[in-house]
Amino acid sequence: MLVLILLAPLLAALVIFALRRAPEVLALFAAALGLLGAAGQMFAVSSGVWSTAVLPFLPDMPIRLVATPLTAILSLVVATVATFVLLYAVGYMRHDPQRVRFFGTMLLFVTAMQGLVLSGDWITLLAAWELIGFASYLLIGFWHDRPGVAAAATRAFLYTRSADLGLYIGAFLLIGVAGTSEISTTLATTGTPALIAGLLLLVAAMGKSAQVPMQDWLQRAMAGPTPVSALLHSATLVAAGAILLIRTAPMLPAGALVVIGIVGGVTAVITGLIALAEKDLKRLLAASTSSQYGLMLVAIGAGAPIAALLHLISHAAIKSSLFIGAGVFQHDRDGTGMESLAGAGRARPGIFAGFALSALALAGIPPLAGFFSKDAVIAATLASPAALWLVPLALAATVLTGAYMGRALRILWAGAAADKTEPAPLMAAGLGALVVLAAVLALSFGPLERLLGVDMAEGGLLAPVLGLSAAISGLVLGWLITPARLLGPIFGFAQRGFVMFGGMDALVARPALAIAAACERLERWLYDLVLGFGRLNLSLGWLAQKIDTKGIDRPIFGLVRRTINTGTRARKLQSGFIHREMALAVIGMAVIVAVLLAAPLYS
Amino acid sequence: MLPLLSIATFLPIAGGLVLMLRRGQSTQAIHAVSIGVTGVTFLLSLAIWAGGIVPGGFAQVEELAWIPAIGASYRLGVDGLNLPLVLLTTVLFFLSAIYSARLKDRAATFVVLMLMLETASLGAFMALDALLFYVFFEVSLVGMYFMIAGWGHEDRQRAALMFFLYTLLGSLPLLLAILGLYLSSGTFDMRVWIDTPPLTGIAAMLALIAMLFTFAIKIPSFPVHTWLPAAHVQAPTVGSVILAGVMLKFGTYGLVRFALQMTPEAFTKAGLVILAFGVFSALYGAFAALAQSDLKKMVAYTSVNHMGYIVMAVAVAALTVDPKMRAVALDGATLQMVSHGLVTGALFFLVGMLYDRTHSREMGDFGGLLGGAPWLGWAFILSAFASLGLPGLAHFPAEFQIFLATLQVQPWAIIAILAIVVTAGLYLRAIARVFLGEANEKWSAMPDLGRREKWVIVPLLVLTILIGIAPATLIDMIHTTMASLSF
Repeated sequence: MLVLILLAPLLAALVIFALRRAPEVLALFAAALGLLGAAGQMFAVSSGVWSTAVLPFLPDMPIRLVATPLTAILSLVVATVATFVLLYAVGYMRHDPQRVRFFGTMLLFVTAMQGLVLSGDWITLLAAWELIGFASYLLIGFWHDRPGVAAAATRAFLYTRSADLGLYIGAFLLIGVAGTSEISTTLATTGTPALIAGLLLLVAAMGKSAQVPMQDWLQRAMAGPTPVSALLHSATLVAAGAILLIRTAPMLPAGALVVIGIVGGVTAVITGLIALAEKDLKRLLAASTSSQYGLMLVAIGAGAPIAALLHLISHAAIKSSLFIGAGVFQHDRDGTGMESLAGAGRARPGIFAGFALSALALAGIPPLAGFFSKDAVIAATLASPAALWLVPLALAATVLTGAYMGRALRILWAGAAADKTEPAPLMAAGLGALVVLAAVLALSFGPLERLLGVDMAEGGLLAPVLGLSAAISGLVLGWLITPARLLGPIFGFAQRGFVMFGGMDALVARPALAIAAACERLERWLYDLVLGFGRLNLSLGWLAQKIDTKGIDRPIFGLVRRTINTGTRARKLQSGFIHREMALAVIGMAVIVAVLLAAPLYS
Repeated sequence: MLPLLSIATFLPIAGGLVLMLRRGQSTQAIHAVSIGVTGVTFLLSLAIWAGGIVPGGFAQVEELAWIPAIGASYRLGVDGLNLPLVLLTTVLFFLSAIYSARLKDRAATFVVLMLMLETASLGAFMALDALLFYVFFEVSLVGMYFMIAGWGHEDRQRAALMFFLYTLLGSLPLLLAILGLYLSSGTFDMRVWIDTPPLTGIAAMLALIAMLFTFAIKIPSFPVHTWLPAAHVQAPTVGSVILAGVMLKFGTYGLVRFALQMTPEAFTKAGLVILAFGVFSALYGAFAALAQSDLKKMVAYTSVNHMGYIVMAVAVAALTVDPKMRAVALDGATLQMVSHGLVTGALFFLVGMLYDRTHSREMGDFGGLLGGAPWLGWAFILSAFASLGLPGLAHFPAEFQIFLATLQVQPWAIIAILAIVVTAGLYLRAIARVFLGEANEKWSAMPDLGRREKWVIVPLLVLTILIGIAPATLIDMIHTTMASLSF
């Protein structure tokens, strides 16, 4: 099963690149196979059969893939979302001449993501982690000849790679302490190493999950095709950060948890505000992704990784269907700016219904999946020792979620539905399947909890009442009041993405370039120094020649002649007559080598 | 049993001699000989690989009396340190021969020089006699000098002068160290020097400093690296590939084989200083590369960065007392030498191919080339990502081990890991400027890679991927030797 899940998309990608035809069929076939494998593995794991695959890599550090309840669930989520997004992409990319590259790269991405969720050792995790970064670089930069796309892809990769240093060092630390690269063993680490490693892993997770202050790459990453956004920036690439923390949660000490919770809470609110102020639907959804992952970090920080997992699962279905819906509107209106989308929903009532259902699910309206997972998050914050911090942040984020989704629905519905639209059956099918999931996923939460062996404490009525009232008030506010009035003085600030001190460019990029320039100056200086030394030798030759012509005592004469020779030879080299010198030297060397090699014959 | 090592070593120069004796051949015939000879040498190296190595010493040793009076013999042998480098050498020379198959300007002389360089390189890696090593080492330096001076670009004289100065000054201290080791042991047999290091105390330290000076220039390590960008920018493509791919490895190979194995005590004492130089070089190389807008110069500076990691790894290996971590560090260092040879070789070839078409290496002159030349573009993207350490490609397993060992042994030195972000930045910027964005009209008629060029680049990319996903074949061999080192 493990092999099928990984090899199906990988081989299909290679076949697509090799054959360069029928990429859609191959991609869907591989995705279906992968889904089948993931489902089979889920079945096996739930009947108590855990499996491991080990492949040789480095001495004493093999590649290890494991199927445990947690990894099997995540793998199934990835396979499911990937299948429906690919189905949708067949419709979306119908007219693109570069379909081969698109589907091939998408499958590579899916392979890397499955590698990440199934990894059983740090090297595999790290490798898959970086490879999804690479695949997303290729996908975000898919339309590489359009202006701004290359910059967006570059930014996405650089942001995440900077944060990846945390994962690198954290993993080295854990491997060093535990003496093995197996994740399950390293999770037994305690004390200071666990705290340091936990914080380092948090840095990595902040980069991938686009948490404040590393959130802005995600919004810019919307330069890629919409199916890419639906897959990468909702359920997979961005999920990697939260998945990392969920998997390492057993090791995280209280100190690290508090920091994680606060980072998540602050992100949830700040990116919620950014989403509300956003002028572009896809960028709104991207900011909302950061915000929802912030909520997951809040849950982890509150000591309830299971709540984070549930929210991750429901968010995966919800956000991919939202992106898919946005992509359909984008096709109709040739853009995702809020103004150009006015009334786009009215023109396509079916798609709009799906979009609206997902939006309500995200806001947290029962009985949709988002309600239950958000309820779990809020209940976890209430039970946490850091409730004082986390509860207000989580509730504020919930209000904001309702507000920006309410605003998006209003804009899509309120304008005039001028244009006729052609039917888009494949896109609708992908959307439909994911919306159904978004609606009914909550049914699976009970069995999932049992499978993972966690009992969610019954939190009473407080959490659902708080959550629901926050969600409804958010939706009402968002529908009725414009963001500019709602946010008041901070509106402009939010619209600029809360850039402080000039943002990452001023804080990181410019200093790096300044260091580079300083190195270059030093480099010039060193170069001139050496060159000056060379010139000095030459001028010594000249000087010696002068002295020689004036007549100098014999004892110095020999030395002078040698110096002159050096100078003259160097001059000759510079005069360009190189062939003769070269030939002479080659012959000379050959003679020396021959003499040396022949030494046994005469000695 | 055939003396495979000697045949592999001298076959190239024998081919060169034939070309020298039978003058007036057509260019085509000359290149056919060159490709044939390097190809057979490559096959021979595979046969040597099949012959295997043994833990704790050298395998397939070939020995002949040479100058018995002073204890110098002709001795060749392989272990887990030099065999990977031998394979790398034969691969790169074979591909260089294919690449230069169209060269018409004094083709015979060029090919002879190239073949002489291959003999010198293989000899230097496999020599087990210090005098023999030194002879091969010197011959390679002079050979490279003529390659740059004869077939270089516009400003080759200045570069040649600099290369000349460095090599002249650089190799003398090594000779002194070798003489010192000889005088206290009465033999030039490197195996004896490794098994029972002859020097101790201050003498060992002086010998170490002398060797470090030579090898630091060769590696090259800050601050004696300035010849490298100058030489690379002016060198012909094949010269750059051989220089960066093979000859820089003399430095790191010597660092392990001579400095670490023959003066281990002194090396451990100086370990922190050497580590600091490695860390600084790695960071400095990355930042200096970031400042470049000339593609070739940029790739050249990333060599300073990548070779800095190797210096770090060797220093870490000397500083630790844990044999497991020592093996991890040295495994990483050795693999990094191979990875760097393949990846940087590919990058120099690609920059050369771009230059052949456009006569420019300035990033700003290009834009959007990916659309018109997908083979060139994707090969460059893949090589660039390999160079910045992407998993699944050659540098990752090596750098992973190096950093892993570094953090365990000297946690502060992990600061060098910042360089992987800087290299990511500089390569992505180069890719974006040259290959992405709106296509530059000027190059709209630029042809993509031809068949010959694909024959050069594809094998390198395949090897890069193979080492990235299945390093076990190579690293198990390296590990056999590194785990059995005792000092």
